[in-house]
This record gives sequence, structure tokens and C-alpha cells, in this order.
Amino acid sequence: MSISPIAQNTRNQSWWVEHLNEIGLLIALFVLVAVFSQTAPNFLSDRNLINILRSAAYVGIVAFPMTFVIIAGEIDISVGPAVAFAGVAFAQLVSAFAIPIPLALLLVCAFGALLGGVSGWLKVRYAVPTFISTLALWSALRGGALWWSDALPVIVPSREFRAVLGGDFLGLPTVVWLMLATFVLFSYLAILSRYGRHIYALGANAAAVAALGINSARLRISIMASTGIFAALVGVLIDARLGSGNANAATGLEFDVIAAVIVGGTLLTGGHGRMTGTLLGVLVIAVLANGLVLNGVDPDVQQVVRGGVILLAVLVNAALAKRAHGATGK
Amino acid sequence: MSRQSENSTLLEMRDIAVSFGAVRALDGVSFSLKAGEVLGLMGDNGAGKSTMVKTIAGNLTPTSGSIHLSGQPTIFNGPSDARAAGIEVVYQDLALCNNLSAAENVFLGREIMHRIAGIPVAVNGREMRDRAARLFEELQSDTRANQMVNSMSGGQRQAVAIARTRLNKSRIVLLDEPTAAISVRQVEQVLKLIKRLQEQGVAVVLISHRMPDVFSVADRIVVLRRGTKVADVMTAKTSPEEVTGLITGAVERVGV
Repeated sequence: MSISPIAQNTRNQSWWVEHLNEIGLLIALFVLVAVFSQTAPNFLSDRNLINILRSAAYVGIVAFPMTFVIIAGEIDISVGPAVAFAGVAFAQLVSAFAIPIPLALLLVCAFGALLGGVSGWLKVRYAVPTFISTLALWSALRGGALWWSDALPVIVPSREFRAVLGGDFLGLPTVVWLMLATFVLFSYLAILSRYGRHIYALGANAAAVAALGINSARLRISIMASTGIFAALVGVLIDARLGSGNANAATGLEFDVIAAVIVGGTLLTGGHGRMTGTLLGVLVIAVLANGLVLNGVDPDVQQVVRGGVILLAVLVNAALAKRAHGATGK
Repeated sequence: MSRQSENSTLLEMRDIAVSFGAVRALDGVSFSLKAGEVLGLMGDNGAGKSTMVKTIAGNLTPTSGSIHLSGQPTIFNGPSDARAAGIEVVYQDLALCNNLSAAENVFLGREIMHRIAGIPVAVNGREMRDRAARLFEELQSDTRANQMVNSMSGGQRQAVAIARTRLNKSRIVLLDEPTAAISVRQVEQVLKLIKRLQEQGVAVVLISHRMPDVFSVADRIVVLRRGTKVADVMTAKTSPEEVTGLITGAVERVGV
């Protein structure tokens, strides 16, 4: 452990410096909304705002567990295909196997947990980087979903299911409520639970965590399992929206999820990140995507713009992290 | 330098041998430790110092010999057994997390929780800060409970690691090269921390290469060479030159 130059730095004094990222994102969000409300006449309509929230919700539900994964120093790039596979599997279980919907939901979530947990276990047992194990899953799950569905939509034969999970509740889409619930749950875990504190510690100094008698293997496996569970949940929610399971659903979702987490100020080096940052990152990315579409920007150019925004956010974060956490970048 | 009466022997290692295959890392070493005593454990690389530390800390089970705590023969089946018996180790890398505050590091893995009907619901940050602040006060360290580890000096970091050992009122603290990686100015602070532990009746085993540090705080010095004890002598009755000779083998044996 290197001894860094001494800068007097305590929790209280650095509150503003530590939260510069969230403040910056709030400003960016207001600027984006202000600009798009002028350039696209429908941008501020209720219908469009709800569309933005809905598309943010599918990303957000996975982004909160992903924040923990990245804080712990890991990554899960398999979430897009995991969503698609869970969507197809759920639809098959309900239609071809006639399994009751709640049980089918439970089964796909359990399977998601198992796959994520295996990535965590491979890291713990054989030091396989989670980037590699989830890259393998990324390929296998998309292929599996295409194979199991013959690349055709698998109809979920239940109108109630569509009405409840794909519909609205108290004026907002159910998925938006579920995203808020996920945000509250993970914020609680990050700030107030022993589990969350150990995740931050794990990302900073895994050897210390083990030396202090904390079960770091269990910690790592459970973190990786959590993205699997929530990706599976999103797969079912997309089924509820579309009425079918689709192997090509959530293409590129892993990109939006990881981008939202990084834009939200979580450092890929581990040890640092907050759920509020991720929530703002999710909203910024959703607003940006929606505004570009409404302004009729060419879809190919949209991707270039999004890539540029993420690069910019990473640069800003690197500069902020240096100020907030000292020259070590930790 | 405090000297305790003969009957307050806290830890006794009797004829400890540890073998790894054909290699005898420790070959029948005995020594004792009294409450409030600082013992300097010295020796060259490979002399058996770390093996001895691991044996006391419960990481290794001796091949033969016995460990007695307050006169009772004891067997440690792992580090948690040793910890439960009041033995704490501060390793050289200190096991600190840069992204957490001093208090959060002190309580890492032993967080104090708010409880509702006995169920832990939330970490009790204030209680941990207050208790950490009190520990730093007892250790007379200028470390602040809410200070981030990445902004700390080497001495303050050591204080955080030592404060951890005070949480469950340990009776024996093993310090592995606490002054090896810090500036000369910080060494003074660490040596003060060791004296504070001693004043609180804690027995300290100081494993160090640094002769001046050992001579300034240790009541007694044990020297190991090739797995055997070649000296067990009061610090006042020896000299750095003699100890250097004992470590290298130029001096055969003293007080054994």
C-alpha cells in the first residue's frame, strides 16, 4: 500500500466535491430537457415523458445491481442477452409447458441468479475475469434464445399478465414503479446495510476483506447473481409489454446499462459509486436517446452521439474522481 | 519499562516445532509473554518469525509442542479461535480500504447495527464514529474518525489498524513489521501507539527488522535463527551490536 501525499480530507468537508458528479448530471438533465423542449414540439407531452420513463425503467432495473457489480470491481456484459433469454424462456414455460405465471417468473429469475452466480464462482474459484465469463454468456444466451424460439416471437397467452406487468399503476407504467422500488432497495443496501459496506470494501481491497473474516466468496457470487436476477425480471417485463418472448429483445441493453452506471459516476476501477448517480445516468441516457429520435437525427448518427456523450462523461468522471478521492484515483 | 510479577504469564509457547515436509521452520522454540509486556521478536529472513506469528495467530497448527493461555493448554483451529481468545494480529499491509473512513475501517466486518426487535436494519454510523473517536483518543492518535484512509499518514493508518485490535479488548497484539514501510517521522507515532497498548495492559509482540525501534519499546528481545531460539534477554541487558551478532550467527547464544 503506497502512502499518498497528505491532503486533509474528511467525509463532511468533501460533500460538495464528492457529489459534483450528481450535481453535474442534474444540470445536464435540465439542459437536455430545455433544449429538446424547444427543438421537438412533442417532447414535453405526457405521453412522451412516460415513454422516456418506461424506456429508462428497463435499463434502470438492471443498472442498480450493475452498480454493485462495478463497485465490487467486476462487470457483467451479458445482461442484454440474459434479458432476451429470460423473455423467451418465460414465454416457453408459460405457453409450451403450461407453468403458472408466478412460478415461471420465479424459475427464470432463479436461472438468472444461477448463471450470474456461476460467473462469480468462476472468479472466486479459478480467477476467471467476470468480463470473460459474461462474454461467454453474452454469446451463449443470445444463441440459446434464438435457438429455443426459432427466432420467432413466443406468445404469452395471458391478457391479465399483460394488463398487470405491462400496464399502468397510479398513472405510471408498472415498470417505472418497479424501477423506483429497485432504486430504493439498492440505495438502502448501499448506504445502510452491512452487505453494501462490504461491497465497497471488496472493490477497494479484496485481500483486506478476506483478512477481516468477511466471506468474500459469498459476497462476490451474490453480487454477480443479482444482475442475473434483475435481467431475468426485465425479460419478463418486456414479455408483458409485447405479449411475447423475443430472442432479439434488449439488443445492446448491456451497453445502455453499463453506460448509465459509468455516466452516473461509478468508477470501473471499483470501490466508488452511488445509486443516485446511476439513477441520474439512466435518466440522462433515456432523455438523450428520446430527444435524438424526436429531432429526427439519423439512427446511425444517434449512436455516434451517444458514444461521444459517454466518452465525455468518463473524462469528466476521471477528473472529478481525482479531486474527490486524491491522486491515487481510488 | 514496566515489569510484571512472575504469575501474570499470559501466553506460553512450549517447545513449538513446525515442519513443512522436510523443512523444519521452527525447531522446539519456547518463550512466554506477560501482560503489559512488549516483546521484540527478531531474526533474519527465514529464521521462523512469520511461522511463529502464524502459529500464535492460529493460522498454523504446530507439528509438536503446546500453547498455554493463562496457564491453560489451548489448541487453535483457525484465526477466529485465536481472536476469540484475545489474540489480534496487525499485518504489514494493514488491511485498510482507501475508500472508507477511519471509523468504517475500524468496524469493517464488525459493524454496529441499529436493531429493531433484534433484527439488524441499518449500520449505526454515529455509534461507530463515536467509539472509533474514543479509541483514537485512548491511543492518543490525531486520527479523526471520519477521515478518509487515502488522506492519512502512515502513522494514522497504523492507528486505525491498531484501533481494530482494541474493539474486543484483545490481551495480546502481534505487530508484523509496523515501522517497515513508513517515514522516520511516522515511526515515532507508531512507537507511541505501542506504548499506549502496553499501558492498557496489552501484551505486544513486535516483529521487526529495525533495531532502534525494538530497542526503544521492547522490554525483552527474543532472537530466532534457523528455527531455534538463540536469545531471550531483557533489552536493558543487551545491545544492538550483540543482537545483530545473534541474528547473523556471529554471537552463538545469550540467555538460553
